[in-house]
Amino acid sequence: MKKIIIALAILLLFTAPWIVSSPFFVHLMIMVLMWTVLGASWNILGGFTGQVSFGHSTFLGAGAYTTMILYLKLGIAPWYGIPIGGLVAALIALPIGFICFRLRGPYFALSTLAVAEIIRLVALNWESFTNGPVGLLITTLPDVTLWGRSIDWENKIPFYYIIAVITLGSIAATYIMSRTRLGAYSLAIREDIDSAEAIGINTVQTRVAALSLSAFFAGVAGGFYAMYLRYIDPDAVFSIALSVEMVFIAVVGGLTTVAGPLVGAIVLVTFGETFRQILLVGHLILYGLAMMLAIRYMPEGIWGKLRLWFGARH
Amino acid sequence: MRKSLVFVMAVLFLTLMVIPSFAQDTLKIGAPQPMTGPDAPFGSKFKKAYDLALEEINGKGGVQGKKIEVIIEDHQAKNPLAATVTEKLITQYKVLALTGGRASGQAVEIASVAQRLKTPYVVDHPSADIITSKGFEWVYRNNPTGSIYPQAFNKFISDVSGAMPKSAAVAYDNTVFGKTIANSAMVFLKSKNVPIVNDEAYPVNTLDFKPLMTKVKGQNPDFLLMVAVSTTDAILLTRQAKEMGVAPRAFVGFGGGFGVADIATELGPLSENVFSSAAWSGNPNDPATKAFYKKFYDKYNFYPKEHEVEGYAVIYILADALKRAKLTGKLEEDREAIRQALLTTDMTTVFGKVKFGNYAGPLGDKYTNQNIYSPEHSVLAQWRGGKLLNVYPKSNAEIDVVFPDPSVKR
Amino acid sequence: METFVQSIVSGILTGSLYAMIGVGLTVIFGVMRIINMAHGDMVMFGMYGAFLSITFLKVDPFLSIILWIPIAFLIGVFIYRFLLKNIVPAGELNTLLYTAGLSLFIANLVLLVATGDYRTIKLKYAIMPLRPFGIAVPIPLAISFGMAILITVALYWFLVRTDTGRAIRATSQEPEAAALMGVNVDRMAIITFALGTALACGAGVLLAPSLYLYPTVGEILVAKCFVIVVLGGLGSVPGAIAGGLLLGVVESLGAVYVSVPYKDAIGFVIFLLVLLFRPSGLFGVGKS
Repeated sequence: MKKIIIALAILLLFTAPWIVSSPFFVHLMIMVLMWTVLGASWNILGGFTGQVSFGHSTFLGAGAYTTMILYLKLGIAPWYGIPIGGLVAALIALPIGFICFRLRGPYFALSTLAVAEIIRLVALNWESFTNGPVGLLITTLPDVTLWGRSIDWENKIPFYYIIAVITLGSIAATYIMSRTRLGAYSLAIREDIDSAEAIGINTVQTRVAALSLSAFFAGVAGGFYAMYLRYIDPDAVFSIALSVEMVFIAVVGGLTTVAGPLVGAIVLVTFGETFRQILLVGHLILYGLAMMLAIRYMPEGIWGKLRLWFGARH
Repeated sequence: MRKSLVFVMAVLFLTLMVIPSFAQDTLKIGAPQPMTGPDAPFGSKFKKAYDLALEEINGKGGVQGKKIEVIIEDHQAKNPLAATVTEKLITQYKVLALTGGRASGQAVEIASVAQRLKTPYVVDHPSADIITSKGFEWVYRNNPTGSIYPQAFNKFISDVSGAMPKSAAVAYDNTVFGKTIANSAMVFLKSKNVPIVNDEAYPVNTLDFKPLMTKVKGQNPDFLLMVAVSTTDAILLTRQAKEMGVAPRAFVGFGGGFGVADIATELGPLSENVFSSAAWSGNPNDPATKAFYKKFYDKYNFYPKEHEVEGYAVIYILADALKRAKLTGKLEEDREAIRQALLTTDMTTVFGKVKFGNYAGPLGDKYTNQNIYSPEHSVLAQWRGGKLLNVYPKSNAEIDVVFPDPSVKR
Repeated sequence: METFVQSIVSGILTGSLYAMIGVGLTVIFGVMRIINMAHGDMVMFGMYGAFLSITFLKVDPFLSIILWIPIAFLIGVFIYRFLLKNIVPAGELNTLLYTAGLSLFIANLVLLVATGDYRTIKLKYAIMPLRPFGIAVPIPLAISFGMAILITVALYWFLVRTDTGRAIRATSQEPEAAALMGVNVDRMAIITFALGTALACGAGVLLAPSLYLYPTVGEILVAKCFVIVVLGGLGSVPGAIAGGLLLGVVESLGAVYVSVPYKDAIGFVIFLLVLLFRPSGLFGVGKS
């Protein structure tokens, strides 16, 4: 039964852009999927290992800048740049992890924020490399022909499929992780890191691995961001607000669940849009209120709660 | 029970996504603006300006028999949201043209979307050169670019004898706005062999300029140049420069932050004699300008400045283009018709003369569809007795310039 | 030399206000393990309170602190009792996100009501700074510094010399043992939260004449203050004070002698270095 639902969901995912009535909704769906990847990325670290990072925008930004710079300065097409961006993010996660994982709990969280801010300031000021606050702009994407027709980059649909594939990848990775030793060790660390150490788990290695995997997907999402929105500047991709939103999606969606981030992203984007529609100036009041209610009544996340309703045991 | 509730809500949501939207019979213009977040006061200024212009134009019967409508969407000063709301305005609301943006970062995003989705975007305020220097044929700009902003100041120090600075300290915010203007000013000063003793980029919305001003004071500059896109930065820069005892012959402000009424109301006597190299050359002796001032004050109880004028003028520019365009009701053709009409725009607004053309900017960027009168629009003004008055060039001057600054003890 | 002394003086003055905001934050965390993202909004509330005092009540903002601290205390009681108490069992992360939502709610409500116009407080006696030995000392900041010291001393006396204060410290170190000793842990939580809120509000009142009013000004401040309390050690009052002064001075010297655009980065780098050698912060107490 579960497999049928999943198959239907994937079918829906791939036919959705043809069903909805307007390119704007395709845009919204692309944003939802991009946020899903970001939420899933945070979930891999924060949900499974319980290490709360407030600096995940570092990895998004790293991926975005890698992709942009490779394309604008070296002519390497974004579809190569995006996975390379993910790898770069995964690589910089290593030293960041080794530094920050010496700390626990809120000390760790704030250290990730400090690292994120340092990197943002470097990106802002190192103009010869990143163009500083002026940012980087893509005006045209390379010509590609697929099955005899050249891809129209003005249309949203090619982007939709790219992000759909990435999203499936991130959800699959989360699922696989939950079934392997990495996932099990991570959950042990989340429960009690000292006991985990005591029974022989190398907690540093596990956490760094989780962080790297998490960073990879954030970097890939960042590369996609650069390709789709075509403009990045340090304040847009290295911001604290982005990091906090990623946390929100993962938590409100449902930590440690596999589909949680998708639910969280859908809720975040649609509520945001709807509230903005209702109140031009006051919409964030409703948004804050919604956040408070969600956490108050569904601390295990919306998907977490739905799973309980549908009969899951935990 | 619970399962069916979830199911119903999911279906409702999906249905909403599938139903197309309906259009009403007005001429729609879209305007992404920051209505919340740190830039909110500016969004509100533009809204007021647009409303006044709309009131006047629609009151006279509208354009081609229809009323014009400006649809404002909040982008919260975030780039991805700017893209989202622009997409929404273009594809959901099916606007004929766009304006607004306010901050350069968001405006670049809007320009990128407008160019790709083939919708005319007439920029009213954002000043990053990059917006009109990428060859976007769907993007037009009425206001001067960042690198043009310092031109009136450059003219002043070149023409008036003894006004050339012996040294200059430059403090600017680390945004594309601040950097472009500071760069342009410094390039000019260097070409005149003026030593730049301080080149300080500060993070926008800084809370404390005392360290920066301490550093500047140590260099004892002849002129202090301050660039601020944010009003609060402008206020704190000026106040703390004076508190720390920086004593130049002139305090020169560049940027939106220095051109708003808050400078005088919040700084009081500390604002006296501060220069503002502004983007607006509204000739105070021009009866149309005076009439606009009065109308605005009567409606909103405060005098319009740079932002309000820009917003007001752009609606008139769009209305003029709408009048001349052959509108058939087919969206893509209408947008193209408006773009063609904009190419032949040749009019005067309260902001100044408008004609879009292609030319090279002061730092060498090749502009497309930039107002060719922009270099003339830059005017040097000075805060005197709580009012911002033009002082240079003389043809636009409302009062004699006071220089060097007598209130500074040297 | 004058530049150096000026930098240090400015740094200490500014740092003292960071410290006062930080103390409130750290006290709340120490006792209740709550990371309060809405703390900055309490500071903002104090700032608007000061503004209202001088604009409508014609009372000097520094005097108005007598009015606003009790009001803030009551608001803190209200927020904890009716909002936060139910969230705490859900864990630290959820509480943090809840307060983040609360912060959005409060800041935007103020934006809607007060509009986004920037406001400052202009004091007639404060236009030009004092210049002892040629060092510029802005008057409002000097008064704030003085009052901040008074309030901090009062707080210290309260925590060390009174029964309630000692009960709070006990709860912060070991809640179960404190409960066994007869401390009403629940009551301590309310008092502590209200106290932290009142301190934040007080800091806001003191800061208002030196800064500017805007609904989100609290958020910018509180990000720095999180750094301070972690630097000083979560839960440690002396730590928050030391951290605040240290950060103020480091930023000031960093801006003048290293580089203005990187001045915030310098603060963060020092922050990371300290944590690497003292993972619980400078004066770290309690469990992490």
